[in-house]
Amino acid sequence: MARSVWKGPFVDGYLLKKAETSRAGGRNEVIKTWSRRSTILPQFVGLTFGVYNGRKFIPVLVTEDMIGHKMGEFSPTRTYIGHTADKKAKRV
Amino acid sequence: MASSDTDKALLCVGAVTGVRGLKGEVRIKSFTGDPKAIGDYGALFDETGTKAYRLKVTGLVKGMVMARFEGVNDRDAAEGLKGLTLFVPRDALPEAGEDEFYHADLVGLAVELVDGEVLGTVQEVHDYGAGAGLEISGGVRGTVMVPFTRAVVPMVDIAGRRMIVDPPPGLLEPGQPEGPEDAERDQKGRT
Repeated sequence: MARSVWKGPFVDGYLLKKAETSRAGGRNEVIKTWSRRSTILPQFVGLTFGVYNGRKFIPVLVTEDMIGHKMGEFSPTRTYIGHTADKKAKRV
Repeated sequence: MASSDTDKALLCVGAVTGVRGLKGEVRIKSFTGDPKAIGDYGALFDETGTKAYRLKVTGLVKGMVMARFEGVNDRDAAEGLKGLTLFVPRDALPEAGEDEFYHADLVGLAVELVDGEVLGTVQEVHDYGAGAGLEISGGVRGTVMVPFTRAVVPMVDIAGRRMIVDPPPGLLEPGQPEGPEDAERDQKGRT
């Protein structure tokens, strides 16, 4: 069952506080978090989080398209190592 | 620009998994970004790089590429190819665009911090939907994940087989406990 709309999106208070502190400080730092359950809010856009996957912190640069998704969705806990073949990575 | 050693490297692009029909058609599991692109790189080689194969892609069925090898015209000959792994030389791939890098070129690069500290070598390139990231290990800091952005990775020297990383604050330091829940969890011994 989907979460009731009247409750609003769930986000851990301490993560929100960390994000606000980082944004206020103006430092482009990586905010390490274990809170995979937190929803990505509009005020997180542009910040970089390190989301723990049980082994390491996966860097997640938040963009507008990610709003409404959970942090954990961008930090998989199971690894699949495929072939590199002709795959390319773009440096943004 | 890739170095000559890198150019000679063979990249695995697919494997023959089965046959289809009676006229020598085979099923190939393609590892390329676009599955049908396996037919775009000219001659394919076996793992030793000595035997060349030419194939023509005939279609795509349930994610598997259907293709026909030159000189293979019946099912028995096609059966003989089952299990064959197909490779292309690195230099057969087209030049990457600006600020684009082949994963095969990035893997194995030595990574240094701006101050000269060795961070390790690139093990994997990941993209979980939040931009590309490099998994770096082999240094004293263990395994670290670094976002592949111009700000964090200002210099990539494929020919010199090295890159420089300028990590933002907090990337290489251990994380700080987040709240009372974490302390409670630690006491209970739960993860």
